[in-house]
Amino acid sequence: MRRVSGKAYIERPRWTCALGGALAAAGNMPGVVPILHAGPGCAGNFAWTNNGSAGLNVTGGCLALGVPSTNLQESEVVFGGLDRLREEIVNARRIMEGSVFLVLTGCLPEVIGDDVGGLVDELAGRRGGLAHVSVPGFKGDSFLGYDEALRVIFEKVVPRSGKKRGDLVNVWGIPPTLDPFWRGNLDGLIGLLGLLGLKANVFFGPRASLAAVRQAGSAALNVVASGLYGIQAAESFRERHGVGFVQAPLPFGAGASDRFLGTVGRALGLPARRVRGAIEAAGRSHYQYLEPLIDVYNDMEAQRHALVIGDANYALAISDFLAGDLGWVPELVVITDDLSRERRESLLSFHREAGGIAPGRLFFGHRAGDILREARCIWPEGDGGGYRDPRSPIFVAGSSLDRDLAARLGAGHLSLSYPVANRAILSRGYTGYGGGLTLTEDLIGAFIAGR
Amino acid sequence: MSFLDHKIPPVREHRHPETALAHGGTIAGHGRGGLCGVSPQASRSFTQGSICPLLPALGIMCSLPETVVILHGAVGCGTCAAGNNTNVRAGRASRGAPGSDAMWLSTALDEISVINGGDGRLEAAIVEADRELSPRVILAVSGCLPGVIGDDIDAAAARAQERVAARVLPVHCEGFRSRFMATAYDVVYHALGRHLLPDPGAGGERLPRTVNVMNVGSMGLADEDELGRLLAELGLEANFIPVFAHPGNLALATRAALSVSVCPTHDDYFLRHLEEKYGVPYVIKHMPIGLANTSSWLADVGQAMGLGREAKRLAGREEAEARRALGEFREAFRGKRAFLSAGEYRSLATASLLRELGFEISGIRSFHFDAFAEVEMEKLGRGEDFVFNVANVQPFEEANLLGRLRPDVFLGHWHGNSTAARMGIPSQVMYNGGYSYMGFRGAFDLARRLRRRLAHPQFYQRLGRYGRLPYRGEWFREEPFSHIRTTG
Repeated sequence: MRRVSGKAYIERPRWTCALGGALAAAGNMPGVVPILHAGPGCAGNFAWTNNGSAGLNVTGGCLALGVPSTNLQESEVVFGGLDRLREEIVNARRIMEGSVFLVLTGCLPEVIGDDVGGLVDELAGRRGGLAHVSVPGFKGDSFLGYDEALRVIFEKVVPRSGKKRGDLVNVWGIPPTLDPFWRGNLDGLIGLLGLLGLKANVFFGPRASLAAVRQAGSAALNVVASGLYGIQAAESFRERHGVGFVQAPLPFGAGASDRFLGTVGRALGLPARRVRGAIEAAGRSHYQYLEPLIDVYNDMEAQRHALVIGDANYALAISDFLAGDLGWVPELVVITDDLSRERRESLLSFHREAGGIAPGRLFFGHRAGDILREARCIWPEGDGGGYRDPRSPIFVAGSSLDRDLAARLGAGHLSLSYPVANRAILSRGYTGYGGGLTLTEDLIGAFIAGR
Repeated sequence: MSFLDHKIPPVREHRHPETALAHGGTIAGHGRGGLCGVSPQASRSFTQGSICPLLPALGIMCSLPETVVILHGAVGCGTCAAGNNTNVRAGRASRGAPGSDAMWLSTALDEISVINGGDGRLEAAIVEADRELSPRVILAVSGCLPGVIGDDIDAAAARAQERVAARVLPVHCEGFRSRFMATAYDVVYHALGRHLLPDPGAGGERLPRTVNVMNVGSMGLADEDELGRLLAELGLEANFIPVFAHPGNLALATRAALSVSVCPTHDDYFLRHLEEKYGVPYVIKHMPIGLANTSSWLADVGQAMGLGREAKRLAGREEAEARRALGEFREAFRGKRAFLSAGEYRSLATASLLRELGFEISGIRSFHFDAFAEVEMEKLGRGEDFVFNVANVQPFEEANLLGRLRPDVFLGHWHGNSTAARMGIPSQVMYNGGYSYMGFRGAFDLARRLRRRLAHPQFYQRLGRYGRLPYRGEWFREEPFSHIRTTG
């Protein structure tokens, strides 16, 4: 990953490396067993990372310290690690329950030059069910690793299918655990697409299956719910399986869900009246849930000036929800990914074209000191002499690393974006109409705890 | 020449060549000299992911106040600090500094650095961190990648030192250098010992009542309070280092009258250094977990400080009081079978405590094995025989063993309990900084928590019905140790 910020270090990274992203993808896909060909601590590193980042989600399947790993030592670094890997693959197939084995290579074998591709081809033979994903940490971040794992799965695991099912839609763009609410968010998308009579094929978590992954080639459309993540895999999918893709921002709440359904409906050429009808019905039901809140929401003046901090998916999805649904004021939105100028521009133009709402001020950065400096442009220290608009009360919708910043600003705070260390997340998600209600509950809950 | 005169610390493989990572057998015969078939050459033909020295080292490093940790490596290396940070926040809050996060940075090496080297990146990061964050200490920590591309982190740290106000400490945590996570303690002690301690004699006068108590990342304030209380009863003052220790307390350590280990496999590297260079004698034998163990630990400290009689009297009084209090648990624990899996000393000492509580031991898995263990194994070898397995977690082997032994309770390391839990076995974490384990009161507190867990196992029972393990059914019919081979 080329450092684009021009800075010498990343402070408390809000992501992990390519290997970690690929492991999160492979390990959360049913029927798939990841095999790490990597240093001895990589698996433990990701487990402990999740402990402090992923809403208390650590284990499950063969993740955490259950993942097969060659645990490379000095002798392999000197003499090569292929013998160890061969033995590991053979035994993993005997011991681990699964149909597809993905060898994920970390920094060490990539630097010492192990020909993992050759070995994997040999062992896969005619039997198949074995593929290699090259994801050394020096190649990029966890979002790249997620994309790369998906690309290989689409290439090696998903068979080509001549027949397409008009109502089947593959959905991705929500990287497991890097989006701490990934399971709930995928559930939300399943529900949302169901409103159009579509069957959403998700690849990760309890609602997924390997059989469904294998049917992905017969989908009518791929929907990538992200401005950045999973795009490379979508392009590769289009090339190999002849299924096009449409990108839509992660749809938190009613406004974004309306636009999401519109985008998918248009891409599939669904009758406009049917899509409009679905949106209308969802909206009516949604506001029946919201209506009883009106008294207190209004009378306590629950409108806030927001500082939103998150990755490319979250920062803009939260900001759009706050501005478009709740009528809050996103004064400053901070996108924490380390992005090249071209990728920043492509993200922002995608957001504009998708009907997103421009925040008051936008900043690309992740360091606490830099974010505080940006915030001080809006909220300077001192009271400013009585007749200055203090743009308060302030609310920080960020990660658990932003608690100190919120305290300095005298702001409320809720951990939403990665890392989330201080919330337990199981089925919760913010996508779709219902997700917007949940997000409303959580945001208001964060500042009325003392009521 | 001392190890600490070298830039790069030795690994456990060299310093304790008997150290082993793989073994399957029983406790019988251990503790009477010899290694009872435990071979340092043994390895596995199938392995699951584990922990490298970087992880526990980060646990210590992130806890140090006014310190910035720079991970020199790919961006994922050391993101586990996010997990350590939850402990750091809790530890700092309990010590009166709530809400403060650790500070860790990454040089995030990329493909260009792999080709051209990353020394320059590290040097620039140290300079920038000093300017932006003004810490007192900067730890420049090497992961695997700099080790394999040939970066000289010592040279980069030395060059940066010329340009910054903070003290810069290079720390060698290349994961592939050692199979044993115990190397972690040595590399951190190495860095602290080389760079943060004053010259001999420069620190000031000897402190005749001060005892260095080497705390470990696995003990929290509750354990420190208990050991501090016991030492205070003898008129001694505990100086807890290195976890959460301010640099000033490290300097103080060179003037102490005695150092005492709470985990022998953790501390010998630094204790020897403090003795050789600063004349601070040390005690390293027992872990104060369990009643008899705590009494022995206390008696050793007393003897070394010329307070042998007082210490014995205190231990006798405390132990009798604790035994009386523990009487109420005996019925609940009688005949219950416990299985333990954690760091070598921790698991062995805790097994002794469980026997005192009335449990039977059905098996112990030790993350590694070295000669330090023999003291504890000798104590355990006197009772009923049980499975003794050396494994750095390796849950597949554990699942197989647990399937055969079906213990009533499982006690495991932090992040080492999910296999047993998914098999429906009530599981008790064997260390967590928020809880109490050590000394007499720790014994009572662990007993109290175990009784609660055994009396209310519903969470585990339901997990046992619905939880999934990722292994084929055939594996459970094979021998649990069939993937251990004794020749390289």
